[in-house]
Amino acid sequence: MKKFLSLMLAALMLLSTASAMAATVTLGIYPVDTDSAAKENHDTYYIPAFKELYPDVELITSNYTYAVETFTALAESGKVPTIFETWYTEPQKLIRNGQVADITDALTELGWLDKINPSIRALLSDENGRVYGVPRDGYALGMMLNVEVFEDAGLVDENGIPLYPKTWDELIETGKIIKEKTGSAALCLLAQDNAGGWHFSNIAWTFGAQLEVQDENGKWLAQLNTPEVVAAMTMVQTLVREGLLTSDPTSENWGTGFAQLGTGAAAMYIAANDAVNQPTQNNGLAVDKLMMIGMPAGSARSYSLSGGTPYMFAANATQEEIMAALKYLEIMGRAPVLTEASKAGLRADAEYRVANGIPVLPAFPVWTDEAFNQAQADVVAEFSNVDDRMFENYFDAVSAEGGLKMEEPMETQQMYGELTKVLQEVVTNPEADVQALLDTANANLQTILDENVNK
Amino acid sequence: MSTIKSNALKQSARRHRALKDLGAWLIMLPGIALFAFFVWVPLAEAVRMSFYKTQGMRTTEFVGLYNYSYMMLKDPDFWPAVRNSFLYTGWSLVIGFLVPMALAMMIHETKRGKSLFRTAVYLPNMMPALATIFLWKYLFRADQTGYVNMLLGKLGIAPVSWLSNAQLVIPVIVVIMTWKGAGATTLIYLAGLQSISQEIYEAAIIDGAGIWSRIRHITLPQIYNLARTLFILQIIAVFQILYEPMVLTGGGPNNASVSLMQLVFRQAFELGDYAKASSVSVMVSVVLITMTLVYNQLSRKKEM
Repeated sequence: MKKFLSLMLAALMLLSTASAMAATVTLGIYPVDTDSAAKENHDTYYIPAFKELYPDVELITSNYTYAVETFTALAESGKVPTIFETWYTEPQKLIRNGQVADITDALTELGWLDKINPSIRALLSDENGRVYGVPRDGYALGMMLNVEVFEDAGLVDENGIPLYPKTWDELIETGKIIKEKTGSAALCLLAQDNAGGWHFSNIAWTFGAQLEVQDENGKWLAQLNTPEVVAAMTMVQTLVREGLLTSDPTSENWGTGFAQLGTGAAAMYIAANDAVNQPTQNNGLAVDKLMMIGMPAGSARSYSLSGGTPYMFAANATQEEIMAALKYLEIMGRAPVLTEASKAGLRADAEYRVANGIPVLPAFPVWTDEAFNQAQADVVAEFSNVDDRMFENYFDAVSAEGGLKMEEPMETQQMYGELTKVLQEVVTNPEADVQALLDTANANLQTILDENVNK
Repeated sequence: MSTIKSNALKQSARRHRALKDLGAWLIMLPGIALFAFFVWVPLAEAVRMSFYKTQGMRTTEFVGLYNYSYMMLKDPDFWPAVRNSFLYTGWSLVIGFLVPMALAMMIHETKRGKSLFRTAVYLPNMMPALATIFLWKYLFRADQTGYVNMLLGKLGIAPVSWLSNAQLVIPVIVVIMTWKGAGATTLIYLAGLQSISQEIYEAAIIDGAGIWSRIRHITLPQIYNLARTLFILQIIAVFQILYEPMVLTGGGPNNASVSLMQLVFRQAFELGDYAKASSVSVMVSVVLITMTLVYNQLSRKKEM
């Protein structure tokens, strides 16, 4: 009788689990059509593995690249995919607008909640500590170098390692040699859209700037016209005057920057470790011809802007759908869970990178689960396809005490917009009055902060 | 008896008219429904939204004219956008107004291959708008890889930063718009020219009038009313310029090419503030309605 009862109980539990996992999940994280190798990874490995474990869950593959322009319309019409990727400046806005789902209960049930890196968890939580997303990975900005251009300019040591700049002054001097010897631009600086302000904020930090501060009454103050920011912008002006930038920075955006670097039109480009596939796989630079260094120091020190990509969930997704989507992440090796499936997922990702000429690099720990992080490090060690010396300076810089800085917290995209306007003026008019332009940008940002934050 | 008969006749006439009207209403119904759904309701909703604060697309709190005052008095991009929208309109009249008229006259005067030229000038209209913009973006690239700069290079002229020069950017965008849009207007002018009686020209030729004299004394007076109408329509269309600067320059450099409709797009879709976007839309509408009233006034004169 006891045996029968326990069998019944087990059957009931199985049934309840199965019914809990009966859901339809739209995978907004499915790769774009043009990325056939990544699609193959999902089609031949992740999806079949998931189907085997959760046959009652229907998966709808539907790539969605997060875009601020389209998101509100999608959210209002209930068409946001069950799971999608965004970036770290977005969660607070999405949470405030009620456009993403609270996944705290699901994370608690899975035991993942306390394994999220605390500073990232804060970015993904509301004021009551409820959590709305999980981290995919983290990144830190540094400087990518096209080794071929440095070789052509004769700027390599006896081991063939580029003689890279450690400060902005050195970058200007290095840039002059590159320009003279190869004709390539020293740096691809972005000034087409907000990515320009994003990169510039990191440059300004290296001159000791802090772009937003909070006074004793809790009021947020814009700090875009301090002597430190002026010094940073003046350095940009020097790059313009010396002709060290690509021909038209106002037409350069995040994507074109990688094309300029990958094809050797520019020797250097500010970029992060999570985008090493861009110059290599997408723009043809050989995996051994890419180098990464820490952000050059200004009058202060080197800082790396740190951000990343979180997974978030549609506001209208049910708990079952959220749970199924989280389980899919587990299969992909993107969760703090070490199972055979997740270990295989980590290996599949590394194999994909090796096969496609993308550097396999150590990841930034977004989970605090030691076993998971160790497994991740083991896979990187096994599949490493780069000369460690090419990335040594970068990893030294980002792991240095206080070397990482999160983005400025308030109205960040609008702040980037204001800085981009100044950059556009400076790169198109070498005689621009930097102080006056930054005074205007500062006043504009203060208006925006007063309207949206200081109430 | 006759009163009863006349009443019955009136009733029958009314019924007949109602039946006739019903048919007309039924024919119009799909159009009215579509207009209501896609134009009138959103229009009314945008006006209502402009007086509220919004979360996503939902209104949360009535704030009266606050969104209007914020945009006009505090938003850093509003006045550059107003200035530029008028500049686009002004430059489009300087660069683009006479081009279709001249093209139409040239085609009209052409004796052979008329339909070839007609097709050729209309071809840019048939190209997808974004493809056209990207095409011109490549042509106007700032360095030696831009085709326009390559041609200038052959003449020994240094490369010009066409789209990142604050003074050049609006005229250059207007040139691109003219290339894309002039064909349609040319066809309207051509239709106008073809309606002018040939006899007048023949009489003028007999009197010894040359081509310039014919254009000045016959063609221009005959198409004057048409030109006046197209003039107003062009102002209304260009004032709402959006995708050309958005794709070519993003509104830069430093707001040198940002337009009012781009500001609407930015507020709504990039910043998610639909209320402020609506307030700018309403202001644009007011300007356009004023222009339309002027247009109607002129049209009425034309009809008289």
